[in-house]
Amino acid sequence: MRSTRELGLAKPFATRAAQPGHHYLRVSVEFPDGGVRLNAAHFKQLIVSALKELHGEVGAALPVDVLTYDEKTLSAILRVSSSGFVKLWSALTLLGSYQNRKCAFRVVQTSPFLLALSGNSRELVLD
Amino acid sequence: MSAPLRRLRETPRHLLVCERSHVRHERSRHAARVRGHAYNCRVSFLIPECGVLPEPLKSVTTDMGEYYLVKNLPLHELVAQEFISAFVKTGSCYALTYNTRIDQDNTAALLPTGKLILSVDKDTYEELGLQGRPSRYSGKKVMRYIITIDLTDSAFHSDSKKYKRVLWALRDKKPLEFDFLLSWHHTGADGSTLMSYFSKHQIQAHQPKITFSTLRNLQCPVLCSNELQGKPEESCSAQELFEWLGAVFSNVELDNKSFSFVSTYCCPEPSTMMDQAYLCTITGFILPEKIIQLLDQLCAYFDEPKLAQWVTLTVHGFADSPVSWRENEHGFQKGGENLYNFVVFRSLDYWLQMAVGANDDCPP
Repeated sequence: MRSTRELGLAKPFATRAAQPGHHYLRVSVEFPDGGVRLNAAHFKQLIVSALKELHGEVGAALPVDVLTYDEKTLSAILRVSSSGFVKLWSALTLLGSYQNRKCAFRVVQTSPFLLALSGNSRELVLD
Repeated sequence: MSAPLRRLRETPRHLLVCERSHVRHERSRHAARVRGHAYNCRVSFLIPECGVLPEPLKSVTTDMGEYYLVKNLPLHELVAQEFISAFVKTGSCYALTYNTRIDQDNTAALLPTGKLILSVDKDTYEELGLQGRPSRYSGKKVMRYIITIDLTDSAFHSDSKKYKRVLWALRDKKPLEFDFLLSWHHTGADGSTLMSYFSKHQIQAHQPKITFSTLRNLQCPVLCSNELQGKPEESCSAQELFEWLGAVFSNVELDNKSFSFVSTYCCPEPSTMMDQAYLCTITGFILPEKIIQLLDQLCAYFDEPKLAQWVTLTVHGFADSPVSWRENEHGFQKGGENLYNFVVFRSLDYWLQMAVGANDDCPP
């Protein structure tokens, strides 16, 4: 949904309010039994299998981008179209195991703006 | 489509407002926008084609001012007449509760205009006995209330009924204690008086954390200051730039192919390759007055001929602040984003993008 707000002022001003088309999630996956190494492609496959388990073949075809991935902490930033946001988040939440290993996804932060993910005031720690 | 399936495709409302103007224009509101956004936790600026930061910018960056963390401060200390006359009425005093979540806990904030904003849950509101209004984002069953107390009101002096009621509520009826982030901007006297005023409490001074980095071989979108929506084949839109900036700050790979399995994100086209770009990030409790100084210096960057076509300044607000711009109520639904970004061009035209989430008013 788009709306334009023209202020009707002198020429220099021009305003446009817009609804973004993508949602971004900062997630991390935990394996309580430990000792799991996943590269970026395996991580993506984990997400696709989560989508397939909950939403079927159509869900698995949802375009999800793994924008960043950290192998050490198993955390990533995902991008998904806004219409697939609820499907993705629900699939990640309900994923209980991967290749017979128990796992859990933690969604740390989510926003319709990628820029918002780079600054999380809840992570501001002062001694 | 059936209703449950349709609901699966819905997302909470969010807004990105983009404005365009000129820094020297008499009706430009860039300074007012910055001043209106009181609580800022992170400020970053990006200068393309820059390897070494010029001295004036460096000195403004390192002088962002210190802020204080006071632990277990009773809320009634902020309505004490001594505090009001020493800090609220002289200069601009900013206070925000630290480590409280706006969607769960009680939160308090003191604006530089002298308004004390309390965002409290239903039980606390009923126990406090102060007049407030229901939160705009609390749904049919009101679970959150906002109380606004104007400390600079002429009727708010030590003999008035209003003052006595507020003091009684905050000190005797329902004493509230929080960890506060405090800062005071003033011209004249030494700023360490906040430290001496709260010396009986656990007060610590903090300096904002500053990080500098130089990014090499960065693909940057081509922008045209007159074309906010971009022009196909000629320039990118403000929205694409906003996403690209987020990608740069998060170290996202900008050069994926459309058939790549892991990610298909790439820099918006048209783009150019920059040899280097300077990125600086300041994290802490940063005052709008300092951000205006930084913005002025970024505009002054173009006083001499430079390779860069534009520079950006991004400011993130606190996710758990009870207000976003001015006194607009701010909430946390699935995210507490309230941020803005300036793109200042060589000609001193600028774009201002303000982004808010679901539980927020449209930015001014």
